Amino acid sequence: MPSKPPQLRTALDAQDAILAGVFENAGFNYIAPDILQPADVFLDRSGEDLRTRTYVFTDPDGHELCLRPDITIPVCRHYLEYGPAFREETRYCYAGPVFRFQPGGDLAAKPREFEQTGIEYFGAKDREHAEAETLALAMEAMDAVGLTGYSVQLGDLGLFDALLAGIEMPQRWRSRLHHQFWRPEAFRALLAGLTSNGHAEQRYAAQLTGTDEAEAARLVERILDEKSLPLVPGRSIEDIALRLHEKAADRVEPPLAQEAAKLIEDYLAISGNPLDALDQVAALNAPGPAISRACEALAKRCVLLSGLGVDPSSLTFSAEFGRNLEYYTGHVFQIEVPYKTRTKQVVGGGRYDNLLSDIGAPQPVPAVGFAIHSERLAGVI
Amino acid sequence: MADALKIAIPSKGRLMEKSENLLAKAGFGIERSGDARGYMGRLTGIENVDVAFLSASEIAGKLRDGSVDAGVTGEDLLWENIPDLDRRITIAVRLGFGHADVVVAVPESWLDVDSIADLDEVSVAYHASHNRRLRVATKYFNITREFFARKGVTGYRIVESLGATEGAPAAGTAQMIVDITSSGSTLRANHLKILDDGVILKSQACLAVNPVEGEKKRATDQIIAALDKLV
Repeated sequence: MPSKPPQLRTALDAQDAILAGVFENAGFNYIAPDILQPADVFLDRSGEDLRTRTYVFTDPDGHELCLRPDITIPVCRHYLEYGPAFREETRYCYAGPVFRFQPGGDLAAKPREFEQTGIEYFGAKDREHAEAETLALAMEAMDAVGLTGYSVQLGDLGLFDALLAGIEMPQRWRSRLHHQFWRPEAFRALLAGLTSNGHAEQRYAAQLTGTDEAEAARLVERILDEKSLPLVPGRSIEDIALRLHEKAADRVEPPLAQEAAKLIEDYLAISGNPLDALDQVAALNAPGPAISRACEALAKRCVLLSGLGVDPSSLTFSAEFGRNLEYYTGHVFQIEVPYKTRTKQVVGGGRYDNLLSDIGAPQPVPAVGFAIHSERLAGVI
Repeated sequence: MADALKIAIPSKGRLMEKSENLLAKAGFGIERSGDARGYMGRLTGIENVDVAFLSASEIAGKLRDGSVDAGVTGEDLLWENIPDLDRRITIAVRLGFGHADVVVAVPESWLDVDSIADLDEVSVAYHASHNRRLRVATKYFNITREFFARKGVTGYRIVESLGATEGAPAAGTAQMIVDITSSGSTLRANHLKILDDGVILKSQACLAVNPVEGEKKRATDQIIAALDKLV
């Protein structure tokens, strides 16, 4: 197992010093959260795909631990433990190693242990301001270390949710579409199913058509009783009945209008600089107040970016662009550089408003942040 | 003399018995070296073939690292233990015994869940209400991950189970399982049902071979041809 060359360490240290300077100037406080972390919190957030790449082990006390695969969650845990009592605005920056298994071995191009540098900004009341400020800061950091020729990709998961909110359909369909957003193929299949009443036939749903949840619960109770089927911990009779009730409701629900499906597809095809993209969204004439609010937020972000010296027309917005990390909830971005025939991501970030409450904050805490892949960055300067 | 071909045979149980019987029918005897409990031997009725007696899962591991040229083991163990199986190893003969399916099974009380698509939806609701993922008890980590990834199911977590996997849902350590079953009776006894599209792999005992050349190739070809006639 070859170790890292000392020159790389020197280069990373020099780069980290410049980045830390930029972040501390902007009011971010340097913290160094633990490398060793409880495995549960990562695995319940990220799922099996990241688990296959996380170094997880059981210590002699039987505790499941991991080498952090990411620094955002360790920073969140640090904030919950040591952050301000009244949850006022908090700004952290960090730099340090993260660990991810690489199929095919530990190659210099894809190291198993690599450096991440970044910021997390919690509790900001002005959402768009925090988003614009952190994006401008990421770009300032790139300029400070001498990166040239990079491009910035933008997305907004909030805009997609706002579009769905305005289209007439049961809330459960919106949740399903939201869930499949990350998997284009399954998404298209779901959309086709919703417009054609192509719901999978369910053996108990037919008996429940036109009844209420209480009736579904009685049916579940009766069948479990007749067949002597025990419940297992985790799902109650009510959970099972609610879903059967929804399946029964799907059978008689009018299908999603073709125009609505087309609206969703047209929205997802939008890309261009954010100002053009806003015009394209406006031209869709999508119904409901949520979509106009989300557009206003994107427009405000653009104005704020201009004020911070970033020309919004130099950025690329794509409705389909998101991050395949389930904790992002709104604005997302990525900074990339051309590499051979493709591009290479050097920074990724965005808004993740659910993460802190998911891992134990007593109330939702607005959060934005980004992480720089320090080794990739050093490699392209 | 050229290197002997090294073939691994299960060292115990019905898999051992059936492997030895089938080889005998094909005209190959097994001579154990040293005392009767020896773990090495020679194949008779053919030149220059060494036999190693190993557990079925060890055989998959030895095939992976190339320390045996050929081996008799379950297809489930091959898929579980050898990444890129289809590019590295040939399943030369399916031997017609040791049949079992690797399946996804959920509690029978989940009246609303018949398919993988149902499971995916339930996993989302479960995560929303419990703030943790559905647990899958299994010893088949790789097969499970590959299957769920192919089906687009992400809202789950594997918990390791090394025995009595079917008891995990009742015990509360998992809500569902991925396990091997031949008749399904153990699953039914534990009030579990196989999802309609939940059969991941139909497994049986097979002869798997690494790429070999020369003398070794001639020997494997001879064994494969003899077994092929019987199954």
